[in-house]
Amino acid sequence: MGAIQSVAVIGAGVMGAAIAAQIANAGIKVRLLDIVPKEGDDRNAIARRAIERLKTTQPAPLMSSRAARLITPGNTEDDFAALAECDWIVEAVIERLDIKQALYRRLAEVRKPGSVVSSNTSTIPLGELMTDMPESLRPDFVITHFFNPPRYMRLLELVSGPATSADAIARVTEFCDVALGKSVIPCRDTPGFIANRIGTYWIQTALALALEMGIEIEEADAIMGRPMGFPSTGVFGLMDLVGIDLGPHVNASLARLLPKTDAFHRMNREAPFLATMIAEGYTGKKGKGGFYRSTGRGRERVKETLSLAAAAQGRLEWRPSIRPDIAEVKDAKTDLKRLVGAKSNYGRYAWGVLGRVLAYAASLIPEIGDDIAAVDAAMRLGYTWKYGPFELIDRLGADWVASRLADLDEPVPPLLAKLGAGAFYREDGATLLRFTPDGGYRAVARAPGVLLLEDAKRGRKPVLSNKSASVWDIGDGVLCVEFHSIMNAIDGDTLALLGKTIALVQKSHKAMVIYSENLRTGPGKENFSVGANLGLAMFAANLRMWGKIEGTVKEGQKILQALREAPFPVVGAPSGRALGGGCEILLHCDAVQAHAETYMGLVEVGVGLVPGWGGCAAMLARWQGAKDAPRGPMPAVAKVFEMISTAKVATSAAEARELKFLRPGDGITMNRERVLADAKARALAMVAGYAPPEPDTLQLPGATGRVALGMAVEDFRKKGVATPHDVTVSTHLARVLTGGDTDMLDPVPAGAVKDLEREAFMALFRTRESQARIKHILDTGKPLRN
Amino acid sequence: MSSAVIAAYARSPFALARKGGLARVRPDEMAAAVVRELVARSGVAAEDIEDLIVGCAFPEAEQGLNVARLIGLMADLPIGVAGATVNRFCGSSMYSIHMAAGAIAMGAGEAFIAAGIESMTRVPMGGFNPMPSPALYGKMPAAYMGMGETAENVAKRWRISREAQEEFALASHVKAAAAQKAGRLAGEIVPIALSGATVSEDGCIRHDASREGLAGLKPAFDAEGSVTAGTSSPLTDGASAVLVCSEAYAARHGLAPLARIRSVAVAGCAPDIMGMGPVAASRKALARAGIEASALDVVELNEAFASQALACIGELGLDPARVNLDGGAIALGHPLGATGARITGKAAQLLGREGGKFALATQCIGGGQGIATVLEAL
Repeated sequence: MGAIQSVAVIGAGVMGAAIAAQIANAGIKVRLLDIVPKEGDDRNAIARRAIERLKTTQPAPLMSSRAARLITPGNTEDDFAALAECDWIVEAVIERLDIKQALYRRLAEVRKPGSVVSSNTSTIPLGELMTDMPESLRPDFVITHFFNPPRYMRLLELVSGPATSADAIARVTEFCDVALGKSVIPCRDTPGFIANRIGTYWIQTALALALEMGIEIEEADAIMGRPMGFPSTGVFGLMDLVGIDLGPHVNASLARLLPKTDAFHRMNREAPFLATMIAEGYTGKKGKGGFYRSTGRGRERVKETLSLAAAAQGRLEWRPSIRPDIAEVKDAKTDLKRLVGAKSNYGRYAWGVLGRVLAYAASLIPEIGDDIAAVDAAMRLGYTWKYGPFELIDRLGADWVASRLADLDEPVPPLLAKLGAGAFYREDGATLLRFTPDGGYRAVARAPGVLLLEDAKRGRKPVLSNKSASVWDIGDGVLCVEFHSIMNAIDGDTLALLGKTIALVQKSHKAMVIYSENLRTGPGKENFSVGANLGLAMFAANLRMWGKIEGTVKEGQKILQALREAPFPVVGAPSGRALGGGCEILLHCDAVQAHAETYMGLVEVGVGLVPGWGGCAAMLARWQGAKDAPRGPMPAVAKVFEMISTAKVATSAAEARELKFLRPGDGITMNRERVLADAKARALAMVAGYAPPEPDTLQLPGATGRVALGMAVEDFRKKGVATPHDVTVSTHLARVLTGGDTDMLDPVPAGAVKDLEREAFMALFRTRESQARIKHILDTGKPLRN
Repeated sequence: MSSAVIAAYARSPFALARKGGLARVRPDEMAAAVVRELVARSGVAAEDIEDLIVGCAFPEAEQGLNVARLIGLMADLPIGVAGATVNRFCGSSMYSIHMAAGAIAMGAGEAFIAAGIESMTRVPMGGFNPMPSPALYGKMPAAYMGMGETAENVAKRWRISREAQEEFALASHVKAAAAQKAGRLAGEIVPIALSGATVSEDGCIRHDASREGLAGLKPAFDAEGSVTAGTSSPLTDGASAVLVCSEAYAARHGLAPLARIRSVAVAGCAPDIMGMGPVAASRKALARAGIEASALDVVELNEAFASQALACIGELGLDPARVNLDGGAIALGHPLGATGARITGKAAQLLGREGGKFALATQCIGGGQGIATVLEAL
């Protein structure tokens, strides 16, 4: 069988529809089937409604409006025969064995031989699913357990059975990894697989001990969140987010399937108030609220928290939320042991939960798998833990953890005893090693074709480095520039290092990649770069060092131009936010290989400025060069004006392509861990016969265009959409984008637009209102509307 | 001098721009479908047509070049039928009727098709390349003023309250919805089957329009103002056409004319209150017809905005009960270049249906103008 090209998802519930969306995001056509509704004429109504819902759900399951058109709605009666053409059929129907098995029997009849059938079940073992099923299905059947929401959660647990063929596993792994961008973790057919097995125990323990020890919800979340690298929502906030009603299903399944000796049962305590909450609609954010809720509207809005003390006695009472001030939590910033080792009630709670979870995880090796690195990865990617359980043990010290388990009356798991005073992870030169159950160490495996900067850096020194950026040799003559300032903001050091790298590559290398990596951040939280360092610029402004600020603008323009004109390929490889100056760097790269979750935008107007590093000129050139746009001097100008004046940010790489932040030839990589490898390959492919691009020349309308844009802005002001300072900023932006006082017959070199950018940037920076915007965003992280 | 008559009238359904069923239809092809059907329904011999005169407010892109000539070729009119595109913004296709009537009067032809088109989806209002003169803008910014702002100006100066505007808008929807339900619109509509699906009904009418719904809308053009999307005509795609011929020609060929063109007029007004354009134009046309407003049995007054429509009704002393009997542009939509032929054709048709003697069709025009046509029963 060849690679998977045609896919169907059966079951158009939340998960089924979102899985179909991710397949469409990969540019692959997918059928989404559900049952024929009892009422109405439209036999595809359920799937059709699910597709409509995908377009409005937040966070967006779809990466572009085009993706929605790749999903074809259908039903399990009229369209069942068409499943014969599918290479992969995903079952995501209700978690009932009889319904799933009835479906598999029908599938066995119609599917083409060798097509993969998978279930998205999280509660039924593969062994049960395959009991009494047709023999022909067994070699082709797996569980593909996606995490919600499938677009953003990178974990995919792949469970195979004893009869599953290696070929089926290989094909579905390849597709889910490369096309869908998931980190595929092979799992054994044990209850809850890896992530839910440990994650559910963590949640249950945090809940049970909070009730037992009289810890209130905000306190529990403050302890069981950020200090340990768990999601900052904490456990209760997390339950609100994913839905309180989901827990009981997974709990019941684990309670049914796990042996009576499993530690899970001791923590899976009766909490009748949860059933009451669910029955009354307090299912979390999707319902009337949950452990946290908001009452009132506007200024009357009050955030409230469920009283756990009252809940323990069976009463549902919400009280005004508190901001817990816990000294041990602050101490944990320097050393986690100062929290989990504290003798206070908070300290005992922290260790009571964490100690048990770490011991539980260690006790599950090798039951759930041999590979501790896979377990850590599953918890990082499936539960957004910054560190997996074994990484956490290493941070605390394995012997320290083992010695403290006695306080909890927990036995030391054999794996931990075997490790003694050692560490689960070790480095051997450039290789990362993991501890194995037999007491040895093996290299942590990466999927073929994956290149991580953290691996390239291990045991090596950077080629160049300063406090904001470093340059690494990633082999084959390619240098990688990595930003590492706060939020990867760009300052003089960043620019200087880019300049030095250009000289170095020209002297002794072939190509350059610009790429940063922080794989431990949660979905949507990564930064390629948030743009220029405004704090430094504001410092200079306070001292009225205008010449210094203008110097930085000039230097940025010069360095970015040098990236473009360098006699070797420069490839940008962003993931996450690429805003302002970060976006402008990418606009000057010869090619971009973007992670699918890349959010590009020229957002300078938010701080009362205009793009100053060639962003205006670059976007004008792209829109003016577009073959699909109407002709004449205004359409490109109007489009770029609209985007920059509203600080439009693309919500995916696919949308960035629609907005022309990415060119048709730029690449998109679905799997985060493949971005660097793809970027390097792209750079090397460009080396032979490389010639830098010709300078852009623009055709701009001059004063008439400025008047036209000004009229539009004036309309927005009257409508109350634009503030007075928006009008000032837009007026400057309009002057830049229309080419100042040019005439439409005169070609305008991009350099002249950059001069206009600089003029406008400086004029705006000198205004009190723009400075107020900058100060506000530095102080609060939020834009000021003045 | 020969008098001119409106011998037939047809139009496409009017659909909301972007969201409606005609969004993916080329305006030139849509207009050709309407012209072809008008010729068929009227029974005119196509080779007798002197000229196809097409009004369009933003004649570029798919409605660019000399689109009238192209529409004629698309509609398979005989090669000898000429074509001219005319732009008087919203008054374009009413003016194409005036041009036909004028030509007939001077003996420059006997039969004309006066049509109008606008896809406000496919060619944005303002066109793709708005390039105002900085000098004129400096001297007289109102020359380029947005239509919404002019509607606010009229509401303020003529003291038209938001409630009154909403009452008027609601009435427009109620009348249009009733007309659609009773099948009174179907006869003038040419179904358009060009986008893979057939569009055969107007798409802008809100059968569920309510006072509460209208009252809940935010001002659309001025945060402190009174004009909302609900009291403005929507952006619309559509095409319309009328057959204009000499009375003698109609009689000779056994056509069934709807009404005689009794008088016409255009007039300028201040650009910042362009909505008041119908006042001067209608007064001139009524004077030329030698009648008073009280003699009108039927009035089609384009509802660009409720504020200007109400102010014009007041200034002209029109009887609201005789204005826009089947609803106006607020409910039906206002594809700029196509509206003039619609309301003139509609007024002619209503004159017959209502058994009246005189009808007035009039509309305001961006930039500060009005246009008016007085029709007379045959």
